[in-house]
Amino acid sequence: MKKKYAFLVDSDKCIGCFTCAMACRNYYHQEKGVVWRHVYPLNEEIYPHRERAFFSLACNHCENPACLNVCPVEAYTKREDGVVVHHQEKCIGCGNCIRSCPYGAPVYNPVEKRAEKCSFCHERLDAGLLPACVQSCPTGALKLVDLATMEPGNHVQFPPGFPKNDKVNSSTRFIMPKVPTMVRR
Amino acid sequence: MQSMELPLVLFTVLSQAAIGLVLMNAVRLHAGPDGGNDRKEWTLAAALMGVGIAASLFHLGHPLESYRALAHLEKAWLSREVLAAGIFFALAALAAFTGREKGSPVLVWAAVLAGLSALLASGMTYAPPALPAVNNALPTVFFLISAVVLGAGFASWFAATGSQPLLARILVTALVVGLVVRLTVPCAWLSGSEIMRQTGMAWLGAPLYWVHIALMAACLGVLWKKRTIPVWLPILALAGELAGRAVFFSETIHTAVNIGAPY
Repeated sequence: MKKKYAFLVDSDKCIGCFTCAMACRNYYHQEKGVVWRHVYPLNEEIYPHRERAFFSLACNHCENPACLNVCPVEAYTKREDGVVVHHQEKCIGCGNCIRSCPYGAPVYNPVEKRAEKCSFCHERLDAGLLPACVQSCPTGALKLVDLATMEPGNHVQFPPGFPKNDKVNSSTRFIMPKVPTMVRR
Repeated sequence: MQSMELPLVLFTVLSQAAIGLVLMNAVRLHAGPDGGNDRKEWTLAAALMGVGIAASLFHLGHPLESYRALAHLEKAWLSREVLAAGIFFALAALAAFTGREKGSPVLVWAAVLAGLSALLASGMTYAPPALPAVNNALPTVFFLISAVVLGAGFASWFAATGSQPLLARILVTALVVGLVVRLTVPCAWLSGSEIMRQTGMAWLGAPLYWVHIALMAACLGVLWKKRTIPVWLPILALAGELAGRAVFFSETIHTAVNIGAPY
């Protein structure tokens, strides 16, 4: 069976430390202001507790990627294992992918004058290693999963606070944070 | 507020003005012989599309590689837009250079087909999944209205006296439809999803949105009073369309801005 790699974001374990985002930056040394992985706090309307909860998100490596479909120069390809790769040398910097991705994954590099995005560290995957962000997560909140063999569980595809778009069919899966235990004296 | 994308504002509005001019030429051709000067009209259409295409290059990081934008005709509406706009420009330039006072009907209908294809491709290009408020037929509707308003306006510079009342009627109709659409759509967004609501609020709170509405209403008022299209009116309408297009690009909210909050 073909692999179908995806990120599993366990918001119950995520402490919002930004280590994943820092690991990504440390590995790829993006230009100032260019960020591939963001850590989004959940709004109090979604998670109304004094404890905070987070979504760590980069490219969602969609089944039917908007970026790939709209790119006029075919700078995007999708590998058999589900990873969506941006070939920056082909990009002419039209910004159509940036405008089209519902998750804001492709970003503009003002120095190269071309778009770029998370590559799922595919070269590390090919070498049998984990993506830099997954490897760095100190709480195990960010995992690499294979959707082709993933057992059904309490993970969801479109939690509150994440744009629902069936058409692009994002691969990232989420485990929602539990309601914190209230201790009263 | 996102980037105003001035090169794209210029490209879309000027290309639609050019397409509108050819549409009005076809309407007059269909209505019967017209004593206007087709060659000058084609020259303006080619010039508007040419300036628009040149302006569009300025939004690219690598304009010299723009020719590669034709590589993904199979799926990308932007590639199809580039192709259709290029064909339209070539036809308009050919008609302008062939030098006859009356344009060839074959060229007119071929340019209409290329122009409408470019309009549809533009509408689909700027209706991406990330902008739910316009991820539908609205961009195509907006662009078609702009094309008819500007086309009827600029065509009045070249049409014979006998065709002026027809152009004035078309312009009035397009302005009324444009005003209704432009006023109701942001209000309808207010009762939509969170991103659509935010887009409605952003549009209604944008000074340029009201400049566009005011200029369309002013054009309508002038036509109501004069019953014909004054020579300066198309410039006023063009200013209004440029303001409206700037709002389209800068105030339409992207889904990614709300990650972590309710949708």
